[in-house]
Amino acid sequence: MGDGRIRIKFELNGSERQIDVDLSDSLLDVLRDDLGLTGTKRGCDRGLCGACTVIMNGKAVNSCQIPAMRANGKNILTIEGLAVDGKPHPLQEAFVDEGAVQCGFCTPGMIMSAKALLDQNPDPSDEEIKVALSGNICRCTGYVNIEKAVRKAADDIKSLDL
Amino acid sequence: MEEYKVVGKSCSRRDALSLVMGCAKFTDDLNLPGMVYGKILRSPHAHARVASIDKTEAEKVDGVLGILLPEDVPDVLFNCGSSPPYPAYVKDERILTAKPLYAGDRIAAVAALTPKACEEALAKMAVRYEVLPAVFDVRDAMKEDAPLIHPELFKSNVFKKTEMKQGDVERGFQESDYIFEDEFHIPSVQHVAMEPVSCICDYSREGKLTVWANSQVLFHDRRILAEILNMRENDVRIIKPFMGGGFGQRQQLHNQPVGALLSKLVGRPVKIINTREEEMYASCVRMSCICRLKFGVSQDGRILAYHVKVYGNSGAYCTHTPIVLGSMSKKYQYHAPHYHFEAFSVYTNAPVAGAMRGYGNPQLTLCREIMMDKMARKLGIDPIKFRLMNHVEVGENFPGVPFTVRSCAIRECVKRGEEIRQEIDHKEVFLPKDSNTVESWGVAFGCHASGTTDNEGMSSSAVLVHDDGTMTLLTGTSDMGQGSETAFSQILAEEMGVELKDISVTAADTSCTPYEQGSFASSQAYVGGNAVYNAAVDAKDKICSVLAKYYGIEPEKISHKKGVFTVKAPEGDIFLSLKECMAKIAFGKEGTAIIGSACYKADRSPAPFHVCWAKVAVDNTSGVITLRHFIQVADVGTAINPDIVKGQLHGGTAQGIGLALMEQIEIDKTANKPSTSDLLHYKVPTSLDMPEIHVDIVKNSYEPTGPFGAKSVGELSTVAVAPAIVNAVSNATGENSNFPTPLAKVFLLGGNREDFFY
Ligand code: FES
Ligand code: FES
Repeated sequence: MGDGRIRIKFELNGSERQIDVDLSDSLLDVLRDDLGLTGTKRGCDRGLCGACTVIMNGKAVNSCQIPAMRANGKNILTIEGLAVDGKPHPLQEAFVDEGAVQCGFCTPGMIMSAKALLDQNPDPSDEEIKVALSGNICRCTGYVNIEKAVRKAADDIKSLDL
Repeated sequence: MEEYKVVGKSCSRRDALSLVMGCAKFTDDLNLPGMVYGKILRSPHAHARVASIDKTEAEKVDGVLGILLPEDVPDVLFNCGSSPPYPAYVKDERILTAKPLYAGDRIAAVAALTPKACEEALAKMAVRYEVLPAVFDVRDAMKEDAPLIHPELFKSNVFKKTEMKQGDVERGFQESDYIFEDEFHIPSVQHVAMEPVSCICDYSREGKLTVWANSQVLFHDRRILAEILNMRENDVRIIKPFMGGGFGQRQQLHNQPVGALLSKLVGRPVKIINTREEEMYASCVRMSCICRLKFGVSQDGRILAYHVKVYGNSGAYCTHTPIVLGSMSKKYQYHAPHYHFEAFSVYTNAPVAGAMRGYGNPQLTLCREIMMDKMARKLGIDPIKFRLMNHVEVGENFPGVPFTVRSCAIRECVKRGEEIRQEIDHKEVFLPKDSNTVESWGVAFGCHASGTTDNEGMSSSAVLVHDDGTMTLLTGTSDMGQGSETAFSQILAEEMGVELKDISVTAADTSCTPYEQGSFASSQAYVGGNAVYNAAVDAKDKICSVLAKYYGIEPEKISHKKGVFTVKAPEGDIFLSLKECMAKIAFGKEGTAIIGSACYKADRSPAPFHVCWAKVAVDNTSGVITLRHFIQVADVGTAINPDIVKGQLHGGTAQGIGLALMEQIEIDKTANKPSTSDLLHYKVPTSLDMPEIHVDIVKNSYEPTGPFGAKSVGELSTVAVAPAIVNAVSNATGENSNFPTPLAKVFLLGGNREDFFY
């Protein structure tokens, strides 16, 4: 099966990982199937829905479109790596508080896109929030509460930093 | 109105934290020991006969464990549409077929150690097809010489007529001063739930089947699976893990029958996950249809007669179509002493039409509300006034519907929405008349049902009251994101007078949750909610009777209100909390187990109502339509959880926007299959496509037959969204403008509508 295997090393949610991957594997395949990190979702496998969004070297990417080999030497953050000491990240809290979760299937990807945004731009405008989330499809919420949650998280993070 | 402690208050979905942390397990997140993967070989042709299949090369692929061909599976006809067993559901499909009737039909299936091995094996299956002529459009399918889709069952592609009559519509037209007629072609759209259709099937050595699937209708799935696999219902267990949306797509079986047989073949659990492409062309779509509407109206603007003819494109199989069409007839919220509804279910080789949010209602409401505007304009009456003067009121019946409306706050919806609209207009100055961009508002009314409209709504619930006074609710509801488990917990907590945190829920497992008709027809809040309410009452009655024994008095001497049991004991009144009651009786002399249970069979289906406003800006040069604002105000009776209700209104709005401006399944007539089978070619609204959304719930509506006054919201939320947008565009441009969006073209171009419909 596959076209041979190759060993990759990368930092995943703060710890070093080494794993043998198939040349044809995507980063999403490796995260879900080999590492059991099923928080990252597969909605289309074509780079068109954003459900598989993770952060790679600070940037939100569709992990279904990243060949696993390309993760070699990179720093990867998934939804499972957001909590600190078991405490949810302000974005995760805000998604709960603002009713931004209906079915929740798009949620991990949304939160990772939002995290990448807030890391770069702690005080985004409404338009910047919309743009940052525009690669993530949500079919349940009409995005209203999701955008509110991102706004709230931005405010919460700012007040934590003060 | 009574003040509630838990009901009417917002709280987030009970399991939201698991979802945001990424630890909630959806079907594809589950991995059973020994589990392997399955994949289905689907017909590339819309109509064909399989001349030969050779699996030799496929079997040689490393990791392949077994392959099923049509001759390997039971040759039974079934209908995958999971509803109560209505006779109208024609059994016309097979588990695997040698005569595919649409591009996507199931020919064969493979089980292998990895998904990649499955794909490789499918690529190596040598199938020769004899391609047959295909039809996609109902008009073509109804022609004399059209190829018959199911010749062994029907001698015509029109396989069902559904009719409803009240008065004498022809007389009504004669008595009318004005006649308005129009024909509409409503395109097909797809649900695009973010989680693809998924199942894991595990057929044990003992001959029992366990299925994990993202299904809305576990108990019907169980019945149908048991029937086609020749098993006893109780030997089939269906469990719904976390579920990523449904919107009706999962009100039917998808890959479960194939999965079950693959598992039986290879002796291991088999997981089948649809690709997004399979979702788009080979699961199901919302029925496209041709609707002809004719209204007879008096000079003073009263509707006297209404005649509707609908031709519904069922696609290759019946599934839900006749019932979808039938239920369209019961959502007509205006007067019409003379009413005639006729609908025809038509087979074609198009993707199979299934259930989708609104179940026929969005299609016909779209046509009707466009006509309401046109009629008002011609009559010189304000469109809102025209609608209100014809609207059914409390104490009256919808035409053709046997039960009376007990709650209707449509006027409050108008009032509240107009307030919001005026606030917006106050803040935003309209562009000057001579500018190149024209702005306008459009309005539309809608309604829906709370459960099926045919008295078939049924749900049951059980409440286990634990010895510390906490409770577990057992319910068959399929929470697919709409929050039914949360709303049910609120109803139970309210009636038992406890806090929300005292309630836990075990849901959607046919082996341990009582029968529930399923999450469809917007039945959860009303039908399911009533069952939960009744189960709570039953639990309290049981507690009272055990308490009576405990105190040696008659059960009538014990009462319960807002969490306090009052015992009229000879020595004086004793007041006990539920916790104190349970402490006394759980381990009392006789011991006791309190299980409250109830079944609720609905004898009506109260309509929730909404009014929608859209504000659009149309660029006269490019024809580009920009949606600026969308207002939706709903009458859902008591909102059990206002934030959850508003969330539904938001989501329904987004889907209606998709229908109006972006989405449409298109058939490539050269390739004879859908060209919109991925998210690149089929666009659903993203954050950037959304206008400013304003939703509200009117407060002074109470449905006397609902749990704490509740009606439904799920499907309502999308019903009148698209017509409000189309009406706004019409108002901005006049009727004969040309627009680049599919729907605007369909309705406003007037002439060549052919291209936009199949
Ligand atoms: S699964 Fe990667 S973008 Fe859809
Ligand atoms: S919450 Fe269901 S897709 Fe976003």
